[in-house]
Amino acid sequence: MFVDFFFLLKKAGIPVSPTSFLRLQKALSMGLINSLDDFYTGARAILVKSEKYFDLYDQVFAHQFKGTEFKEPEEFELSEIARALLDEWLKDPKALAEALGVDEKDLLKLSPEELLKYFMDRLKEQTEAHHGGSKWIGTGGTSPVGHSGYHPGGMRVGGVSRNKSAVKVAMERRYRDYSQEGPMTPSQLGEALKRLRNMVPFGPKDKVNIDKTIYETMRNAGEIEIIFDRSLKDRLKVILAIDNGGWSMEPYIELVQTLFNYARAQFKDLKTFYFHNTIYDYLWEDPPRRSKPFPVDELVRLDPETRFIIVGDASMAPYELMATDGSIYIGERSGKPSFERLKFIAKTFPHTVWINPKLAEEWPYTRSIHHIQEIFPMFELTLDGLEKAVTTMMRKN
Amino acid sequence: MHKENQIKGFTGASKYVLDEELARIVNISMALEMPLLLKGEPGTGKTMLAHAIAEAFGMKLIVLNVKSSMKLIDALYQYDTLTRLNDSRFGDSKRDVSNIEEYIRMGKIGQAFVSDARVVLLIDEIDKADTDFQDDMLDVLDQMEFDIIEIDKTIKAKHRPVIIITSNAKKDLSDPFLGRCNFHHIAFPEPDMMRRIVHVHFPEIDKELLDSTVKTFYRLREIRGIEKKPATRELINWIRALKADPDFRVKDLIKGEVPFLGVLFKKSPDYVVAQNAVARFRV
Repeated sequence: MFVDFFFLLKKAGIPVSPTSFLRLQKALSMGLINSLDDFYTGARAILVKSEKYFDLYDQVFAHQFKGTEFKEPEEFELSEIARALLDEWLKDPKALAEALGVDEKDLLKLSPEELLKYFMDRLKEQTEAHHGGSKWIGTGGTSPVGHSGYHPGGMRVGGVSRNKSAVKVAMERRYRDYSQEGPMTPSQLGEALKRLRNMVPFGPKDKVNIDKTIYETMRNAGEIEIIFDRSLKDRLKVILAIDNGGWSMEPYIELVQTLFNYARAQFKDLKTFYFHNTIYDYLWEDPPRRSKPFPVDELVRLDPETRFIIVGDASMAPYELMATDGSIYIGERSGKPSFERLKFIAKTFPHTVWINPKLAEEWPYTRSIHHIQEIFPMFELTLDGLEKAVTTMMRKN
Repeated sequence: MHKENQIKGFTGASKYVLDEELARIVNISMALEMPLLLKGEPGTGKTMLAHAIAEAFGMKLIVLNVKSSMKLIDALYQYDTLTRLNDSRFGDSKRDVSNIEEYIRMGKIGQAFVSDARVVLLIDEIDKADTDFQDDMLDVLDQMEFDIIEIDKTIKAKHRPVIIITSNAKKDLSDPFLGRCNFHHIAFPEPDMMRRIVHVHFPEIDKELLDSTVKTFYRLREIRGIEKKPATRELINWIRALKADPDFRVKDLIKGEVPFLGVLFKKSPDYVVAQNAVARFRV
């Protein structure tokens, strides 16, 4: 029963397992499910294990039991992306007019719906003319925004299902916001960084060491001798160095801020430094990079167990990295290329990672990224990337 | 109340407003004897649900508050070596020192297993613990038994407890874990639902106060840049504070004044942001 439904869910990309499907059958045979409403909630609780798939489930359900059109994933994605792009472009009508090849004045006369339709038509045309699929948006270069990380529509609040049929509820698509592309929130970052811990004995001796107690008691001929130890506390030291200069980092500021805010709340021993593009003789303790320089040579005085996290897009002109006088600032002329400086940091702190807000698929196109990757392990600033970075940093040796 | 619930399934409790969707899921999970995993924003009543189920069915509630340093064995049982050592030295207790079993204390999961009646086991904030803990625990809950190594004894559950697991994190738990649970995500209640929730807590509240507080509450939730949005618990405490203040008039709220902002916003940066935003309410 409902085998089609199961396969459609699977096809739509929801990870449904046969075991859970059998469990649904069990629920059906036990007479627990007596109406379509029951089936909607029951099947969802049993089959779908994350709220980020609720939206997709709603779409499939509405399709299967009401015959609503279920858009093929590509097309659905396309329209979502288009809307995101359009939203962004509407802030700058001139760019939009240029991109669509219409006069700006004509553009203003169109209603939003007309505009979207026109835009979609154009987009499809373009898609066909170019290399097909949604690639055109991704790599075309005309788009002012990358599509990931941005989610249109904002937060919707889920409702109560009272007095509504399941299909209607499903058609409302209440769970849209939980779809995977939602922006990264502090709590998600927290999850990813949670494993970054270094437990060492610290504080008052308040924990009984049983093995030692027994041993000492025996030595004491049975006279009880209780041995206390310090309990394990997280004493992890973290240095966060953020690239906060230049237009190339501009699009990622919000993302990096979220990371920074979380890090500040989480780590007791956190130092933050700022730099522009890459690191030369100085790091800066103040965001404008003016009044509080910190000489890179001084870093050796810090604990080498410190986890050193560099956040930056690593995109710059090759000479900035390689030339002896590469810095775009006159004051920094020590004769050491930044490349050497970075190597020095990597040597001083064995647990160093570079986190790049640019998506990994864009990396091969920038040469400086390639060079920096030779020095540091580099990860994307996504949940996935952060998790990998944390694993790397927690590795012993 | 208890009898009625046993026939019709779970329909809510005296201080808990239940939406139909969740009621169905609870009933299915109980019938299938599967743990129910609840996710959602803080303050959507995940923990309260377990309390409500326990109350509605007259079952005992056992709460396991998961901590990040917790090991599975802590949740199962504890072998109290120190007391035994002490007893063996001084011998002034009634316990038999050579019988290790007398020094085994049951943890929360252990208590749920040995209980003579069916209980509700609430495993709160499972996401705090690491993945190994989660998977191992699900094994135990799946098998409904565990071994006590020290005395080589297997503890089997007398009755399968009703298991409710809550998680705050947006991150997914591991696949094997999810495979063994039913899942539900509780969305933040809509204003109508919230009115009913408030009504359950303050049956005699007058309509004007109810409407204006709920309205202000949702307005405050929409302020941008707030790290921890006020949740149901804060709203209820806030209304309690307003009712306790003899100088408070409902008209103030409509005018845009928000007294006792500190009850709603508990982080000082949030408080400042909210204060500035509230100042703009009064136009």
